[in-house]
Amino acid sequence: MLEIKNLHASIDNTKILKGLNLKVNAGEVHAIMGPNGSGKSTLASVIAGREDYDVTEGKMNFMGNELSDLGADERAKEGIFLAFQYPVEIPGVSTTNFMKTAMNQVRESKGEKPLDAVEFLKLMKEKMKLVSIRQKLLSRSINEGFSGGEKKRNEIFQMAMLNPKLSILDETDSGLDIDALKIVSKGVNTLRSKDNATVVVTHYQRLLEYIVPDFVHVLVDGKIVKSGDKDLALELEEKGYDWIKVKN
Amino acid sequence: MIESLNLEKSVSREYNKDIKLIKSNTLKNIDRSLRAYKEEYKYTPLFRKIKNKIQIGVSELDHDYDIKKIKESIPKNDGYRIIVIDGLYNEELSNIPTEISVKKFSDLSEKMKGNFQKAYQGFDDSKSDLFSSINTINHFECLTVYVDKGVNIKKKISIINYIDSSQSSYFRKSILLNKNSCVTFSEEFIGISEKISFSNSVCEIFLHENSKLDYFSCQSFKKNFHFNSINAFQRKDSISNFHTYSFSGATIRNNLNILLKDKNCYANMYGFYAIKNNSHIDNHTSVDHMEENSISNEHYKGIVEGGSRGVFNGKIYVRQKAQKTNAFQSNNNILLSDNAKVNTKPQLEIWADDVKCSHGCTVGQLDEDALFYLMSRGIPKKEATSILLSAFSSDITEKIEDENLRKHYEELILSELEGLNYE
Repeated sequence: MLEIKNLHASIDNTKILKGLNLKVNAGEVHAIMGPNGSGKSTLASVIAGREDYDVTEGKMNFMGNELSDLGADERAKEGIFLAFQYPVEIPGVSTTNFMKTAMNQVRESKGEKPLDAVEFLKLMKEKMKLVSIRQKLLSRSINEGFSGGEKKRNEIFQMAMLNPKLSILDETDSGLDIDALKIVSKGVNTLRSKDNATVVVTHYQRLLEYIVPDFVHVLVDGKIVKSGDKDLALELEEKGYDWIKVKN
Repeated sequence: MIESLNLEKSVSREYNKDIKLIKSNTLKNIDRSLRAYKEEYKYTPLFRKIKNKIQIGVSELDHDYDIKKIKESIPKNDGYRIIVIDGLYNEELSNIPTEISVKKFSDLSEKMKGNFQKAYQGFDDSKSDLFSSINTINHFECLTVYVDKGVNIKKKISIINYIDSSQSSYFRKSILLNKNSCVTFSEEFIGISEKISFSNSVCEIFLHENSKLDYFSCQSFKKNFHFNSINAFQRKDSISNFHTYSFSGATIRNNLNILLKDKNCYANMYGFYAIKNNSHIDNHTSVDHMEENSISNEHYKGIVEGGSRGVFNGKIYVRQKAQKTNAFQSNNNILLSDNAKVNTKPQLEIWADDVKCSHGCTVGQLDEDALFYLMSRGIPKKEATSILLSAFSSDITEKIEDENLRKHYEELILSELEGLNYE
């Protein structure tokens, strides 16, 4: 589904990713772990198409398309979704209207008819249940005044609405208490299928107890230096990132 | 610099002796206006730009315009409207509610004249303003609008001003809201010819005890120069809500001066501007708290594109007697290009010691994080930008109580935003 080869990316001439390789197939869950500043969030942003980053070298192929040729909106239409580490507050735009606009843009690009108000509401109610989010919250400005947990649940709600092929969860566990973490994980697990894939970017092993990965990759200084199964995460938790750094 | 304007000629041709006196007094004090001009028009050198367009206002005798074109542009509904063409009232095309009286100043009874006299002479702020003075001297006709005691008109009254003259057109109005009355005016200026012209409008408003006014100004020109001054005078317990929307135009200068003469007055000033290409918008406001327990609230927001420039100057005076005053002011701007410019200046002068006042201004760019957030859900850049900019304007439009009017302005803003260049 996604194949990244020798990816180099920089921001303001500072090199962050330095030759990263990653292959994600449909039905898989990959976890990207690594110390602060190793480039985890950069990887998530670069895949989603943030313009601040320059891709200087390498290829990112997503279902036959080269991602570098596509804008962030076009990537979303192809089925890429990024759950933000810090969801942005946007005063004056309600989540409901935002989602309606986004969904209809995505549908239009697939040649589908826009959802009418009834269909949209029905779908929204169904997905709201998944992450226990109230409708009142969604009629408010996007993320404005939301608690940390509400923001993250809103991200997963949007993910459920857009039904992406590839979901990237950027530090979705940060700032969550254990109950919120369970709700968010339940949402993500419910959405898992053999046709879609998930990349979980995280600092801690804790999240991976709830969203169990098929593969764990360790990112250090812009490169994946070690890959393994879920046991690698446990080993990391026990020995710390220095263990990997020393070995390399 | 003023000599070339032939202002004496305007005074001498005036045949109404009351008006002649006002005109000649204004001319005598023109030096004062000239002195103030330098500072007050620092970022908007309007005089230099349009000097050769300042001429005497047209009179009924020499007025010639395309009435057919105007008739076609008037919406075919039963809405209330006051039609003014190049400063001259057109009774035939107007539709005035029976409860209010709209007359030329010169046609008023002596008693009524007395009521309007003070407004006509102008308040201090407008007396010292150069373009208001030019209006006083050069205008041909003053239109008076009288709203009697207790009159409450739910439907808005449109004031549609047509500009046809290729030189100058002067609009002059006095509006008087008597006790306990309540009314909404929605004023707009429309250029009917392709000519570049200068329009100069002065409107003096009296709000008597416990009256309430909603006043909308909408300005959208292609290449005209427009000067607009609104001066409001508020009595006890009165409420005023001013909403000023400006889109494009070569140069627009708005003066809005509010005098809170008595206790317990309430004044709201909301403004929004979105300008492109090489337009220029200047909003100069002042609110003067004279007595205690009054509230003023001001919020202007703007989007400036291309090589355009926005100017905001907001003065708040709180006099010594005006204890327990609440006065708030803010101005926020988004610049959409490297060449766009904004000069913003809050100015507070406070003599009382038990007051609550705040002011603030921001000049920034579109929030890149928010833009990426919207785009990452599949919304193209142009739509995402449009969503963010209209959300930026929502703080201002949500202050409009009337749902139909609010929708009207939201749609207007959306269509104006679509015309902006984001790259």
